[in-house]
Amino acid sequence: MTPTTAVFRKELKSYFNSPIAYIATLFFLVFSSVWFFYIQHFFASNSASMRVFFSVMPTIFTVLVPALTMRSWAEEKRMGTAELLLTLPFRERDVVIGKFLATFSLLAIMLALTIPVPFSVSAFGHFDPGQIVGEYLGILLLGAAAIAIGQFISSVSSNQISAFIFGVIVLIAITMVSQAASIFNLPVWFAAVLNYLSLGYHFESLIKGVVDTRDVLYFLVAVTLFLYLNTKVLVFKKWR
Amino acid sequence: MVVVEDLRKSYGTFEAVKGVSFSVSGGEAGGEIVGLLGPNGAGKTTIIKILTCYHYPTSGRASVDSLDVYEDALAIKKRVGYLPENAPVYQDLTVAEYLDFIANARNLAGGLKKERTDWAVHECGLEKMYYRGIDTLSKGYRQRVGLAQAIIHDPEILILDEPTTGLDPNQIIEIRELIRRLGEKKTVILSTHILQEVEAVCSRVLILNEGRIAAQGTVEEITKGMKGEVLFHATLKGADADSLKAGLPEIPGFRKLLSATAAGAGAVSVKFSMDPVDDGGERIFDWAVGRRLKLLELAQERFSLEDIFVKLTHEGDGK
Repeated sequence: MTPTTAVFRKELKSYFNSPIAYIATLFFLVFSSVWFFYIQHFFASNSASMRVFFSVMPTIFTVLVPALTMRSWAEEKRMGTAELLLTLPFRERDVVIGKFLATFSLLAIMLALTIPVPFSVSAFGHFDPGQIVGEYLGILLLGAAAIAIGQFISSVSSNQISAFIFGVIVLIAITMVSQAASIFNLPVWFAAVLNYLSLGYHFESLIKGVVDTRDVLYFLVAVTLFLYLNTKVLVFKKWR
Repeated sequence: MVVVEDLRKSYGTFEAVKGVSFSVSGGEAGGEIVGLLGPNGAGKTTIIKILTCYHYPTSGRASVDSLDVYEDALAIKKRVGYLPENAPVYQDLTVAEYLDFIANARNLAGGLKKERTDWAVHECGLEKMYYRGIDTLSKGYRQRVGLAQAIIHDPEILILDEPTTGLDPNQIIEIRELIRRLGEKKTVILSTHILQEVEAVCSRVLILNEGRIAAQGTVEEITKGMKGEVLFHATLKGADADSLKAGLPEIPGFRKLLSATAAGAGAVSVKFSMDPVDDGGERIFDWAVGRRLKLLELAQERFSLEDIFVKLTHEGDGK
């Protein structure tokens, strides 16, 4: 078994042996459905689109993702298991990628559980299946980037509470930063930079149903960058 | 084969290890059990963390089987079994899941994986706890889970940081027995601040104090090499403890009073070191007669590791 697979399986077992995975899944499913059907009045909206369902996801993720990633490194450090994990025959990147894939799989399972929503409403109008697939792709990419960021933050935090709070703040900031451009009267070039850096902006672009490679690339670069930084944190700690 | 040369490690401005050199050779005939002994903060754990590639040294070299801790960390991690201090374990897993993870991490598979897991579980007496959650286990059993984890891949070199802390006396005996058995064929490096542990299991000992090696060798070598001192134990009658303390330095060759305690019925027991002379006993006898003291008991003693430890680890304090 490859090192990454070994870490991946252990992390998934840990998730499902503790209540966190179930609580987070329940919270996610209930909140997103309530939002879609009751708060946004889907049935009264007279629009065959899932857009409102997906556009709330970045907001949900600012809380949901840090809740999933807060333990990732902070708990290992607190329990002393980081020492065990990093003295097993793994490279730093094996562990970082294994942890990332485990959290990403958990999030993918949660999203898979929402698939009944588009199916249940498909009878009421002519939905564009291509757009819904694009929206799921967008949400997966957004989730992956948010997880990489949350996991990195956990690696520089001393306990899970600060990892959670710090994670929420950072995710809110980089999800919402594009709105600053519309609220304040910023120079055009500066607004463009903020938009480019914003997770929310690229996500909005994806859920329009147009899969633009630039947006996909943006998310993949974000994931790679933060996983890389995570391995550097681990190496740096060996020098401490 | 573990070689450490002029190893130094600083945490910020604090220098935890200040130039330590030693080597441990397993030898073809079998293994060796080496004890790192020292008070808390002596640098034992730091040396272990460097050998297991958890921390990099600040300067100096450390290698395991000619593999450098900086260059070949992955290869070292593969051949070392390591029980960190306080035996960290994943509390949200069961013993079975935990050992399964370790076996996977050690790249064990199929029949070999089952065989090695069964062996480690049996050696550490974990059969009854196998399907229990680790969070429900006592400290002693967690320690055993940690030990099972360290030996599951049959490593040539086993590094154990305080393997018996928190165990009850029966468990300590069992774990020491297991370590002794493993040490017959493998190189075992263990750290401890318990002297009896070293005397009970280690063939060689490194005494560390404040980041330096204060003494190293077999227990006998260290005892003999104790700066050529001999130790006397005497029980005297006819004077109180204070006047004895004042009078003892009159003995030719007297060095240091280690203890003076009342032994009942007006007698006082004293323990002191002297120059290594052949007629030490006679000198004490003549002195006692000269002072009109009754000598009830006189014996020359071997330095115990405990005396040496106290002496070495206090010398640097200026006490």
